[in-house]
Amino acid sequence: MPLVSLDKVHKYYGDNHVLKGIDLKVEAGEVVSIIGRSGSGKSTLLRCMNGLEQYQKGGVVVDNQSVEDDEYKLRLLSRSVGMVFQSFNLFPHMTVGQNVMLATKLVLKKSAIESQKLTEELLEKVGLSDKFSAYPGNLSGGQQQRVAIARSLAMSPKVLLCDEITSALDPELVGEVLKVLEQLKVEGMTLILVTHEMNFARDVGDRVVFMNQGKVWETGASDEIFANPQTEELKSFLAAVR
Amino acid sequence: MMQFTDWDILRNLLLAARWTILLSLMAFLGGGVFGLALTLLRSMRNTVITRLIQGYVEVFQGIPLLMQLFLTFFGLSLIGLEVDAWSAAVISLTLFSSAFFHDIWRGCIEALPKGQWEACRTLGLSYLQTMRYVIVPQAMRMSIAPTVGFSVQIVKGTALASVIGFVELTKAGTMINNAVFQPFKVFAFVALLYFLICFPLSLLARYLEKKNHAAR
Repeated sequence: MPLVSLDKVHKYYGDNHVLKGIDLKVEAGEVVSIIGRSGSGKSTLLRCMNGLEQYQKGGVVVDNQSVEDDEYKLRLLSRSVGMVFQSFNLFPHMTVGQNVMLATKLVLKKSAIESQKLTEELLEKVGLSDKFSAYPGNLSGGQQQRVAIARSLAMSPKVLLCDEITSALDPELVGEVLKVLEQLKVEGMTLILVTHEMNFARDVGDRVVFMNQGKVWETGASDEIFANPQTEELKSFLAAVR
Repeated sequence: MMQFTDWDILRNLLLAARWTILLSLMAFLGGGVFGLALTLLRSMRNTVITRLIQGYVEVFQGIPLLMQLFLTFFGLSLIGLEVDAWSAAVISLTLFSSAFFHDIWRGCIEALPKGQWEACRTLGLSYLQTMRYVIVPQAMRMSIAPTVGFSVQIVKGTALASVIGFVELTKAGTMINNAVFQPFKVFAFVALLYFLICFPLSLLARYLEKKNHAAR
């Protein structure tokens, strides 16, 4: 049973048919990169996996839970699916520690001591153990994004969705964030990323999904896809981003 | 005939200014509570509720406060509710300021990035938790300066209560002038007292705005 399973998913924004029957299965422990031109539906696809976007036809099942437009079910689902955003979306009025601990206290009902301990561990893991009491506004983009990753991990999700998480970073800060993802892969975390980091997709990712015109245009093992693209669209896309 | 010294004029105006301040406070508190309730209701994003509140805001922002005072004062007595000038003034100023407060605060909530809501959703926070821990603290910080700024408008708005016979600063000025026939002097005093109430508020609003900008 795959951890994430999309079955003929269709999504419309009004008359605009953005997802045209997406089939996708992701097994636990896989690292899947979703690539494609802007407007191809990559982010929308990712956001359908945790209910941030509603789809009109088909089905999405994550961790044996059907993703539907239902407030209560989506809150339950949020324990299985974590998400990291391009714009970090940290809470600017809280310290780094408070950011990470908020949901462990409120949602997982962990005690203050337990939450604090978990937060310290996670901050150490992302290399920010000295920033517990700092405010997000005083951190670099790369540091903020690592806090956001720690915040997601605090909920111990089974799959982490990453929506262009390095796109808002200065080039020299991209590496530190990707390093954290690499480490997560080693630990067996399931990662689904929408990304423009082709090197990362090739070297760390297991599988690549190339989206084009709202469809899964081409998919396969990472090294295969990059070494041997089959469709003209993927060839020209790869040529353009290299 | 009795003689009024300048001190007599000022003393009587100061006594009346208490009512201006009290009326402003009532309107600020009443409008604040009511405006907050509207804001919370509206943030639930129910279409019907939103439409109703939008209509409410349009009505109270689109009609001069003076007409609202008249309509409250005379309208309530038409349906058999005898209201005195004080109650009518409190009711209309409360409704008036609630519409503006609601608009200010809604703006502050909507000014927050959508990503704040999305982050809360993906972390599994409920609507109330999201409001309480993430949205309201940030929106509140943003709203302090414009809220204090609007309170200046309330203070000045209380002057209109004089036309339905409520004796506050303006009405007292009119009455004293009828006795002493020195309109320039009397109304200069009245203006000075309004300024002394409003100016510190303006300063406070400006200070809070600066402080808020520096914090980000």
